[in-house]
Amino acid sequence: MSTVFDFRGAPGTGWSQPEPISTPSDTIPERLRRRHLPHWPRASEPELVRHYTGLSQKTFGIDTGFYPLGSCTMKHNPRVNERIALMPGIDRIHPLQEDSQVQGLLSIFYEMQEMLAICSGMDAVTLQPVAGAQGEFTAIRCIQEYHRSNGESHRDKVIVPDSAHGTNPASASMCGYQVVEIPSASDGRLDIEALKAAVGPDTAAMMITNPSTLGLFETNIVEASRIVHEAGGQMYYDGANFNAIIGKTDPGRMGFDAVHYNLHKTFSQPHGGGGPGSGPIGVKGHLSQFLPTPVASRRESVEGDSTGVEDGYWYFWADVGERSIGKVQQWNGNAGAVVRAWAFYRRYGRELERMSEYAVLNSNYLRNRIMNPNPDVAAKIHCMPAEGAQADLVMHEFTLSMSPVKELNGVTGKDVAKRLLDYGYMSPTLYFPQIVPECLMIEPTETESKEVLDKFAADFHAILSEDPEIVTSAPHTTPVKRVDEVWAARKLILRHPITDSED
Amino acid sequence: MVDQIPNLGRESEMLGALGLSSMDELFANIPEEVRRDEPLPLPQPQSEEQILEDARRLLGVNVHLDSRPSFISAGLARNFVPTMVPMLATRGEFLTSYTPYQPEVSQGMLQAMWEFQTMVSELVGLPISNVSMYDASTSAAEAITCAVRVKSKKASQPSSVYISELVPPHRMSVIENYAQGVGIDLHTLPHNEDGTLDLEAAASATGSCAVYVEQPNALGLLDEGLMDLREAIGGSTALIVGVDAVSLGIIEPPGSWGADIVVGEGQPFGIGPTAGGPIYGLFACSKEFLRLMPGRIVGQSIDSEGQTAYTLTLSTREQHIRRHRATSNICSNETLIALMGAMHMALLGPEGLEKLATRVHSSTIATLGAVTSVPGVELVNPEGCFFREFAVRIPGSAKEALESMDSAGVLGGFDLGNWWEEMSDCLLIGCDEGTTEADISALTDALGNWIGGASR
Repeated sequence: MSTVFDFRGAPGTGWSQPEPISTPSDTIPERLRRRHLPHWPRASEPELVRHYTGLSQKTFGIDTGFYPLGSCTMKHNPRVNERIALMPGIDRIHPLQEDSQVQGLLSIFYEMQEMLAICSGMDAVTLQPVAGAQGEFTAIRCIQEYHRSNGESHRDKVIVPDSAHGTNPASASMCGYQVVEIPSASDGRLDIEALKAAVGPDTAAMMITNPSTLGLFETNIVEASRIVHEAGGQMYYDGANFNAIIGKTDPGRMGFDAVHYNLHKTFSQPHGGGGPGSGPIGVKGHLSQFLPTPVASRRESVEGDSTGVEDGYWYFWADVGERSIGKVQQWNGNAGAVVRAWAFYRRYGRELERMSEYAVLNSNYLRNRIMNPNPDVAAKIHCMPAEGAQADLVMHEFTLSMSPVKELNGVTGKDVAKRLLDYGYMSPTLYFPQIVPECLMIEPTETESKEVLDKFAADFHAILSEDPEIVTSAPHTTPVKRVDEVWAARKLILRHPITDSED
Repeated sequence: MVDQIPNLGRESEMLGALGLSSMDELFANIPEEVRRDEPLPLPQPQSEEQILEDARRLLGVNVHLDSRPSFISAGLARNFVPTMVPMLATRGEFLTSYTPYQPEVSQGMLQAMWEFQTMVSELVGLPISNVSMYDASTSAAEAITCAVRVKSKKASQPSSVYISELVPPHRMSVIENYAQGVGIDLHTLPHNEDGTLDLEAAASATGSCAVYVEQPNALGLLDEGLMDLREAIGGSTALIVGVDAVSLGIIEPPGSWGADIVVGEGQPFGIGPTAGGPIYGLFACSKEFLRLMPGRIVGQSIDSEGQTAYTLTLSTREQHIRRHRATSNICSNETLIALMGAMHMALLGPEGLEKLATRVHSSTIATLGAVTSVPGVELVNPEGCFFREFAVRIPGSAKEALESMDSAGVLGGFDLGNWWEEMSDCLLIGCDEGTTEADISALTDALGNWIGGASR
């Protein structure tokens, strides 16, 4: 297989640059000078355009097809957002420029802080954390400083349900907390008795997402908040599943003290093969003095202010103060993602709840289609999956267990996932949450049509009807066949060897 | 009216299939006591045209770096990004893919990241690179916590890490946030009068878990003495070096002088300064740190027919498998920006990298020469050799000088008083490949005029 290192043009003949503005007098001491240049490819633009176009064609994105990856909210990414993010007023801005030079950017930051506070029922928001996991870390750091400021440093435990995203326990642990994992109830929901048994004078916080990773709304969330608060702990809302509830309820009403948002899930910042993300957090008033610094703020314009965005306000970076945890990213967060998310939110405005409505509709519709095949289709299916959780209704996502299928004919969740690739779909999230055996977690999002959902259900049924041999040896039509992950971990070939270079 | 929802107006049919008659019924599981009944107090939905108009108006108010002579860097680069880079990286398949958990349909992104790892490895002189951290500050912070995991058991100072006092406060703050939960004691390494690291004092780090220094340092100074730091601290302490990635086109990479982990801002390759993000952090290390390092790694593999293939590997370090025992909580990273970086690096090639570094260095020297010939301006480290940035002391307040230069249409640098109070009469002046003779004249005129005016 060819790689970029196969391009071996003549030295210095690739992409051209202007000459240095003056011949540098040789001020770099000999010993500091680089002896051998890195073995980078020597390629021209036409060669590289073809190389990367070829690689893109071997990559599956939302643009390629249906991407029902549960928990990841793979919705369409409107293209105007990319156009805006390349404007010089964001792309060519330095984060340390004076407020007077970035009034437009500050006003967008301020508007986003306000919007996120409104949607979540929080009092203050920072846009500095650059990923969901960093948002979790930031919020738990704020909670940690809050307890310390109250003389309660002895609170050293964070409670997470066993259905939580892996980042929750990892973030709590990075802050220095012990993690107490509590089992879910038999219906997949939060087990209130287990929570009661877990809380105590050492509880710092509980981290939970609602709806849960099973796609179920935690109906006893208010009681959970009461139990944790009575023990002196704080409630943290993992906003990964925020796409399910906007405008219908909010974490503030549920009793949460802090929340993170995933601008790359709910607000359509593209996932880009794994990032960038953006993970702002919102907090209730009592935690706001601990937020990272600075946050965007504004005051009414006064005479003498230079021209701003002409809305009657002067915008500025406000220092959070001496109790702030400081910085979690050295600049002001992923501003480019904030601007994209701003452009996305502006499409919906006060109608943001439509987004959640159609996301939940699509999820329930697809679940219904999959679990209720027509009799003639059902007759051909060897074995149906089980529901990951028993419920009349789910929220934005749902889980299926392939256990019955595996027991009958050895077809695992992974096999079905791989076979779906042959049908032109991205696989659902596999084997998560871990409490559902052979789990497939499916989140269609609001940007898929009924036809796509109908077709997916039909193809899913077709797979369940196929010769198990075909399914267990899938995929068959992808650029490579099933990849040996054990081989990769054993050989650890983590870079090109570049052994046959001419220099 | 909103768009982006294909099923808008078709809900009755779909609800009917579920035996429901209203959208509200879908949310029946949300208890009454937490329901939101009133609409969100937000503006009316906008069309693409209206959004674009507002974006142009608001972002158009910002003063961007290419619109005037600009000399602000402070760890980021006012770089030139080849047109191919954003055009190819935003192809929909790259842009809208998720983390490549299904390697069979992600070979393109996986291979691009494996090639990225190789180019970073070559650049810094270490065998292993991950596929990016959030930025240089979190790379440095997680390098430190990683080094402690690897080194603390055998270290005579098991919880100690030593950091150059010239690491600026905003970066230190990130490091402190990441280090505090792990119980790491951060000690400071002092510098000599001439701005170089005090190597004798650095010997006190012997037996600690790690030393973190930057080359060039935050004042742009290239410190030859750092090449003796390994000897000064002994073999058992991890040496972590933060770099200006472009400088490695002309400067010996830290992997060649004893560094175990190299971190830095990847941004100069691939993307504009973007108001501070999304950018990406470089993270490269030696084999000793591989199994306890943060972030995703791509490995070469084979498929069931023996063909070459690529896949994420060593995932058992990561949060989705290891949960609270993971080496990091990082999940979303900056892959797309790293992809842009890979494209930019591949376009440059070895000689192009060297030329780019030479251009930046040449701009630095030319600017330094012109600025220090303005009467009243003194170089903070007069004996130093600089890359991209240098600090000057001026007769008066840096803040006021910058305001005056701003009104003359020049972005004259960064007020170092923001980082260190005792340097409030110092400017950090940043240069790049785009700096022109005309820019330099504008800077020296504006600075000279302010000094002349201020002293009158």
